[in-house]
Amino acid sequence: MNQTMNPKKETADHKKQLALVIDLNVCVGCHACVTSCKEWNTSGSAGPLTDLNAYAANPSGTFFNRVQTYEAGIFPNTQTVHFPKSCLHCEEPPCVPVCPTGASYKREEDGIVLVDYDKCIGCSYCSWACPYGARELDQERQVMTKCTLCVDRIYSETLPESERKPACVLACPTSARIFGDVHDPKSDASIAIQERSGYALMPEWETQPANHYLPRSIMETIEAARKDS
Amino acid sequence: MRPQFSIVFFTTLAGMAQGLLFSLAILDFPVQIFTQSFLSTFAFPAALILLGLGLIASFFHLGRPERAWRAAMMWRTSWLSREVIVLPILIAVTVLGLLYSLTNEVPSWLWIAVIVATILLWICTAKIYQCIRFIQEWSHPSTLMNFTLLGITSGWMLLGVLVGLSDGTKEFPLNSVMSGISFILLFVAFNLKLWIWRRNRSLRPKSNLASATGIKGTNIRQTSMGLMGGSFNTREFFHHQTERAISNIRKIVLLCTYIFPMIFVAYSISSPSNFIFILALIIHFIGLIAERWMFFAEANHPQNLYYQRVS
Repeated sequence: MNQTMNPKKETADHKKQLALVIDLNVCVGCHACVTSCKEWNTSGSAGPLTDLNAYAANPSGTFFNRVQTYEAGIFPNTQTVHFPKSCLHCEEPPCVPVCPTGASYKREEDGIVLVDYDKCIGCSYCSWACPYGARELDQERQVMTKCTLCVDRIYSETLPESERKPACVLACPTSARIFGDVHDPKSDASIAIQERSGYALMPEWETQPANHYLPRSIMETIEAARKDS
Repeated sequence: MRPQFSIVFFTTLAGMAQGLLFSLAILDFPVQIFTQSFLSTFAFPAALILLGLGLIASFFHLGRPERAWRAAMMWRTSWLSREVIVLPILIAVTVLGLLYSLTNEVPSWLWIAVIVATILLWICTAKIYQCIRFIQEWSHPSTLMNFTLLGITSGWMLLGVLVGLSDGTKEFPLNSVMSGISFILLFVAFNLKLWIWRRNRSLRPKSNLASATGIKGTNIRQTSMGLMGGSFNTREFFHHQTERAISNIRKIVLLCTYIFPMIFVAYSISSPSNFIFILALIIHFIGLIAERWMFFAEANHPQNLYYQRVS
């Protein structure tokens, strides 16, 4: 009601939603984002991210971020696509309402989906309710863990301002990861989505992921070449 | 999905207890059929033991069981939370029934409370799975129908066994009636299961690699899931069984849950025999465990699209 009176308070249609935009054109699949994420988060306030049997035959560990690889097309017109995947911080996160304890929540102020590790009972229900497989139960702590968008970095007052970004974004050698407020039309993230037809994963479930992916523009060239040949 | 025995045992044991209580309430609410001693020494204790075992089993599902009380917090949005509230209510109502039956007749308002609580618990339990819209095998009213019907069937059969063992009815020839209705319930549940399996076979997954990755192009395939060891994603969402094992377990479900018990109870309609009825119940419960195991194993989670190839 009083929103216009208070310029600091954001209106409902201008709520902040932090997210990552991942450029599939330039991701080279180096896994630097994976290791830097693990390094920061296992030693940060979210950690530790347990590794079991790390040096044995069947290692198993908790990660917030994975880089997968896909192939598309038919030889010789094929493409290899490296595909980083972490929590997409959905605007309608299906994992949040199912949580029986309220440990899973979406922050009002910036749209980050988080787990309160002190409230989590480790029932895994939220992971069942996530179509993307973004959540991993930590085997040692027996609580659900997930990407925090480095919430302990981005608002840090001790880190230099240039480092107040998620660890994966800073680590990426090809700048394939753009971090920003996707509700602010002037942010780098929003501009990238708009100008380069950023898309969301599994739109069929209407989870409205905040993270977006930028399609490989070379695919269009390949498709055109395939049609010509 | 990976079937977890904690949930398999919870849903089958609690389901049977609910079925027993529901059947008792339906039979005893209009006209009192059961003697007080039957209720206080057989029926209510049996229901409480089953509910207690189910409750214990459910704790094994939790990574942090000492925090289980927190699970009652989010009843506004979470069916799991609602289940966590309704289960103790049902246990409390059952304890109250036991106390009444020790001294008095069980009042009809208590039977109504039993009916309401059992139905609510079935709804909560089934909705936990049914509300996950992208697990297409679960996201259908048949999930609730199946949980409820099998709960009533197993509970009714248990009541039949208890009645046979105790002779606890007031001049009412229940034995053949119990067998006859058991047969009808088994037959309906059997057809529902066949229908559910037919529906599952005809499901077309809404998600595929194209929608999961957004990659434009034909013939998309994964060449690496990004890890070579195991992870939560590779463990939790796959049943890890061979096709052959699955098809054998499916046969066990058909034979043990439905067909053998139907043959046994059909036999005991004409010649009531406690032994045959107990045998039918034991085989049915073994089948029920397999049925619930399959319920999880059959569910295809779309996250599996992202975890197809190790390299």
